[in-house]
Amino acid sequence: MAASLRLMDGARPEGAHEPAVARVVRLGGDDRSSQRVRIVDAALRCIGAQGLQKTTADDIAREAGISRATLYRTFPGGKDAVLAGVVETEVARFFSALAVTMGEADDLEDVLVAGMVEAAARLRSHEPLARLLADEPGVVLARLSFAKLDGLLRVASDFAAPFFARWLGPDEASRAAEWAVRIVISYLLSPSQGFDLADAGQTRRLVATFVLPGVVALGALGDPAP
Amino acid sequence: MPGGRDASSVAGEEARAVHAEAMSERILEATFACVDRWGIAKTTVEDAAREAGVSRATLYRYFPGGRDELIAAVVGFEFARFFDRLYDEVRDAASLEEVLERGIGFAHQAVVGHAVLQRILATEPELLEPTLTIEGSQILGAIAEFLVPYLERHELAPGVDVAEAADFLARMALSHITSPGRWDLADPAQLARLVRVELLAGIAPAPVR
Repeated sequence: MAASLRLMDGARPEGAHEPAVARVVRLGGDDRSSQRVRIVDAALRCIGAQGLQKTTADDIAREAGISRATLYRTFPGGKDAVLAGVVETEVARFFSALAVTMGEADDLEDVLVAGMVEAAARLRSHEPLARLLADEPGVVLARLSFAKLDGLLRVASDFAAPFFARWLGPDEASRAAEWAVRIVISYLLSPSQGFDLADAGQTRRLVATFVLPGVVALGALGDPAP
Repeated sequence: MPGGRDASSVAGEEARAVHAEAMSERILEATFACVDRWGIAKTTVEDAAREAGVSRATLYRYFPGGRDELIAAVVGFEFARFFDRLYDEVRDAASLEEVLERGIGFAHQAVVGHAVLQRILATEPELLEPTLTIEGSQILGAIAEFLVPYLERHELAPGVDVAEAADFLARMALSHITSPGRWDLADPAQLARLVRVELLAGIAPAPVR
């Protein structure tokens, strides 16, 4: 986690403003981590524009404004290694934003609602992800179902559980966090007419009706830890 | 298209329809056997036709979309078979709690024990998932519809809408069946805790004892 969080020091480029990005990256120093961020962000733009299958290491290098050799020096594994870097970086960015939102919540209902809304809104507005879900769903779904989803549930609930631990014991906090992650993924992959999880009001109603009573029932609630 | 139809041509059409269903089922069984043996990527139309004992041309008559249509159809076929078994397993359940416990427990074991599914998930998951999503939205609807009468018969918490609750429970059942996460669904005590304590607390809380 520390390694991937370091990647977040890099600036997030804005689509077409290529020269500005290059300047920011250079200002950030010519170290390996800023080079990695630059390549990862270029890969994200390529995936958003042309999908995953058609994106080559050459495309990514061109988009990042670097040579093929530089790309391979930074990511010796080529395209697959860049993609692993993309996932790692985006997950770190995602969790980092989520941590800010969830850390501000005042009670158990708020932390559930805040985490689910932030996660749903970020996933929904993630353009490369939307592109993949629309055109190459197998790539995403293969990572979000069956044993792969189990792995993700573990990672995501390990991340989220500490935010619940102010109000719940460790076992209940992990189960509540896992449940929230399941719900976000279910509504991401199969949107519902009744509940739009990116909408705070609708999510609060879902949480209050279906989730909070179960979370409360899972563990006897004590007073929140100081 | 011919304009008029006499009784014998109608009977002939019916016979042909029955024959067509038997034939497409035979081709799907054969395709399933090929997928079992070689996986999805390596299964060709020729393999499936040979296994079914029909010509390539005959196979294309039943599956004009060729390989892609055949693979999608075989996934749908296997799903239908799975849901028939699931339905047999839960049809006599007496309550909402029981239908969820038995359904989730049985379906999870069936997924874990499905050798062909597990092999595909391990070696070529990308090839399976596109068909799973299409099936997935239909499956959610089918599970929700199945749960509605159980919800209608149950005393529900104030303010709970039956259709919303059915949709939510269907999502959670499907999610746990395919990816149980922290829950050991082979353990009846954990299964009961998942269903009765976590999933149903807001919908159909247990009466105070």
